[in-house]
Amino acid sequence: MTKQKKKPKIYDYFKETEDPYAGGVAWCPGCTLELTARFVPKVLGNDIILVGCPCCAAPVLYGQNLGTWHRLSYFSSLMTGVASSATGISRYYRKIGRDATVVCFTGDGCSADVGFQPLSGAAERNERIIYITYDNEGYMNTGYQRSSTTPMGASTSTTPAGTISHGKPTPAKNVPLLMAMQGAAYAATATLSHLDDFARKLTKARQKIKEGFVYIHVFSPCVMGWRIEADMSIQVCRMAVRTNYFPLWEAENGRFRLTHEVSSPKPVQEYLRLIRKFSHLKETEINEFQQMVDRKYAVIKRLCVTE
Amino acid sequence: MIAQKGKKMVITGNATAAYGAMLCRPDVATSYPITPMSEVAEQLSAFRANGLMETEMVEVEGENSAMNVVAGASMAGGRTFTATSSWGLSFMYDAVQHAAGFRAPIVMVIANREAPGILAVSGGQQDIISVRDAGWIQIIVEEGQEILDTIIMAYRLAEDYDIQLPVMVNYDGFYLSYMATAIEIPEQTDVDHFLATLKEQPKRQVLEPGVALGCGTHGIEKGFVELRYRQCVAMERAAAKLDEIDREFGELFGRSYGGQIEEYRIDDADIVVVASGGVAGTAKVAVDTKREQGIKVGLIKLRLFRPFPRQRLVEALNGKKAIGVIDRSVGFGWDCGPMAMELRALTPEIGIVPILSYIDGLANLDITIPHIERAIDEVQSAALGKSYQEVTWIPLEE
Repeated sequence: MTKQKKKPKIYDYFKETEDPYAGGVAWCPGCTLELTARFVPKVLGNDIILVGCPCCAAPVLYGQNLGTWHRLSYFSSLMTGVASSATGISRYYRKIGRDATVVCFTGDGCSADVGFQPLSGAAERNERIIYITYDNEGYMNTGYQRSSTTPMGASTSTTPAGTISHGKPTPAKNVPLLMAMQGAAYAATATLSHLDDFARKLTKARQKIKEGFVYIHVFSPCVMGWRIEADMSIQVCRMAVRTNYFPLWEAENGRFRLTHEVSSPKPVQEYLRLIRKFSHLKETEINEFQQMVDRKYAVIKRLCVTE
Repeated sequence: MIAQKGKKMVITGNATAAYGAMLCRPDVATSYPITPMSEVAEQLSAFRANGLMETEMVEVEGENSAMNVVAGASMAGGRTFTATSSWGLSFMYDAVQHAAGFRAPIVMVIANREAPGILAVSGGQQDIISVRDAGWIQIIVEEGQEILDTIIMAYRLAEDYDIQLPVMVNYDGFYLSYMATAIEIPEQTDVDHFLATLKEQPKRQVLEPGVALGCGTHGIEKGFVELRYRQCVAMERAAAKLDEIDREFGELFGRSYGGQIEEYRIDDADIVVVASGGVAGTAKVAVDTKREQGIKVGLIKLRLFRPFPRQRLVEALNGKKAIGVIDRSVGFGWDCGPMAMELRALTPEIGIVPILSYIDGLANLDITIPHIERAIDEVQSAALGKSYQEVTWIPLEE
């Protein structure tokens, strides 16, 4: 039997590292964050320095008193200081000539809202850090409040759908695009339904931080906050990609490329109907949502080079 | 004195602070400008630009990031330095507390300035009063040379294995920050020698790539209490440690400042004026004048504000008949200056004596020799058993 040259399989990207997490960690069943948190060190290695803040990842990553659920080196910053704390760690290692990969790992509340200033500052200074946002489109750890990556129309506990409200009135902030526009050495979007794509991007991230700032935005549905079934989270990821709600792209030194182009995108309604935070949307609002998705995708599409 | 005679330069307080930092060879420093300390950031950047120091300079986009950068670098194992003032200190407040909780041995200089609320681009000590419970060691200095020398001592204190706490070195913004005086810059080899002791102690715990060691755990119940207790114990140790370091510094460089407090004509004094920062220099002149007039007055320059130099103060104030305290800040919710309020807390140990609170020098107003002489007269009168006014806002009575 002859083996032809095949696309690498997902496990080809795995380092031969032990899973640094214990079983039975305190994340919700079906949580995409857990899979992301386990996946990142699988590809980047267990010798990364992880920098985080209060967020859904914190209960596990922080540890309690002297115990933790993982064996990574972890720095717990504040929501206002993740990118800057990582800067300090990375600069010190540069000063003493030590090769270490500093990885920020936060939710969207940090990177898009209260921690956006230091994130933008670190990108502008071209700090040698990898910043990974798991975007669950709101403050899921504190009870499903809206953040600036919450999409238009989503019902959250601070933008509840009601008799006169249709959920959040404004569209989401496009953080990965902003980071690419700031001239990050590498900026990319990723999600768990396309794990090989995610792994390739993490591998590239490890090379690119030698040049400068790296940003990866991971679409991470929240089963509790979005009100989806616990076994549906990966399906929601896949549908987000197939409807072009969450296109997978990368920008290497400002050169944009779609890494998974969807040939015939499905209507966004098929994505929305999986998620109960959108269940109040009427036909006109769904149409508006579709237009918003189309507009956002058109921007990315226009930026991408055709090969 | 063993150290070589250093080169003398006429430089501002801000430039002096930058020289002090450079001599300590920080690994990582941050700069973000704010009046009246911007020159510290500029000077450090100039040193770096001319290859005079190997520090990683991070030109951050705000003070909050300035503190987070040095906290991160410090917990990775580095020596760190930053500087700020007033609103800058307010903007980094969350990170200031966080760094102290980490026991990160950061040294930060603060050119003291009025705090926000009423817009004031002017001197005062309200900024440091607002962070007195943030878990930082706070030292207040009087003049230029003391800025430089105290920064060097601050690293010995912060990085001491038994302390491991961040230290703020405070000097009067607008006055000391901009005033140029003759400063002796110690030789690098002597500063290296003075700081070398730190390398002989056990290594503090820092982040290590590949080592399962977190920085900043979620303290739960008793775990939290234990960590807080240790933090407080370390803070208490810092008081006596500063005296030791100050003595050792004096033996090497021929200059020392009294450690926690400087006592000026205290031994035979009946009454005492307590002040901090640049005004202590003015107060010494007023004390001398009043001594000539036969009033047995002395001065205590409060150098250490956190931890509060309780033991030293009790020893110095025991048996004194009345105390006047000059504050360049206000104590909201207490009808007196913050330092006067803290002095009052010594009553169980020094006995009930009149403690007169003077609020002066807010928003750059001068605390003049006549102001202090007037205070001394009133304190003396109170010591003689006459009635007195507990709190005096001097600028409002002129």
